[in-house]
Amino acid sequence: MRQCKDIAEEASNYINGDLPFAERMGLFFHLVLCKCCRNYLQQMRQTISTLSLAKPREQDATDTNALAKQLHDLCHKHD
Amino acid sequence: MKKNEQQLIQQLISGDQQAFTLVVSEYHTIMLSVARAIAGNVFADDVVQDAWISAIKALPKFEGRSSLKTWLLHIVSNGAKTRVRRENRSISLDDGWQSVAADKFDQRGHRFDDVFEWDIATPEALLANTQLQAIIEDAFQQLPAMQRAALTMYDLEGIKMADICNILDISSSNARVLLHRARTTIHHCIEQHQDNN
Repeated sequence: MRQCKDIAEEASNYINGDLPFAERMGLFFHLVLCKCCRNYLQQMRQTISTLSLAKPREQDATDTNALAKQLHDLCHKHD
Repeated sequence: MKKNEQQLIQQLISGDQQAFTLVVSEYHTIMLSVARAIAGNVFADDVVQDAWISAIKALPKFEGRSSLKTWLLHIVSNGAKTRVRRENRSISLDDGWQSVAADKFDQRGHRFDDVFEWDIATPEALLANTQLQAIIEDAFQQLPAMQRAALTMYDLEGIKMADICNILDISSSNARVLLHRARTTIHHCIEQHQDNN
């Protein structure tokens, strides 16, 4: 029988649909019985959706316009 | 290859300045994320710069078997791996990981505490809170570079897991662990904020 800890460990694989059928069913049966884990899984889904919406980006101080111009000039040089 | 992308590549080859600006602003940050994950902060900027130059030179030979983004990420990945070999460095996959889950379960794997639905349910409502927005941003920046790259590629850029494994040169199970750890950290920050409010 799967436990809450298994759900916490496999939540991403469960959400991504990356688990073998038997394992997925084992977790599914636990979820049917455990409201806490259903709530936890829902929170993880909300976390992923929130991240997709927030779109945090790598910190980057590059002047992308200057870099684009440099690359453009390089491309012309090759012509 | 999508028609728009084909057009964009033609514009790049013909030297359209706007196309260069678009491509660099679109892909530079994700390329930097991959370079930092593989080669570390110190070499990342150099690696990306070199990758751009290699990519621009190789553009006429680009066959479109993958998307432009994936192709660029493979170029930066190869450059970063070469740099790591040259510098004789290695990056730990577990760098900076702290388990937040272990203390939440008893010996039989049951939760000590109940988990409740969040009061603010939708992502839009969550992000309306500027304090939480800042917490998420900060938590993202604090993630180890490998986790940040895996999360960015999978959840934010929609890149397939198989490509992520190739780009980061890690096994599928490692990639899944990195993704899960990153999500768990962000979840934990939102959860703490919800509990405090």
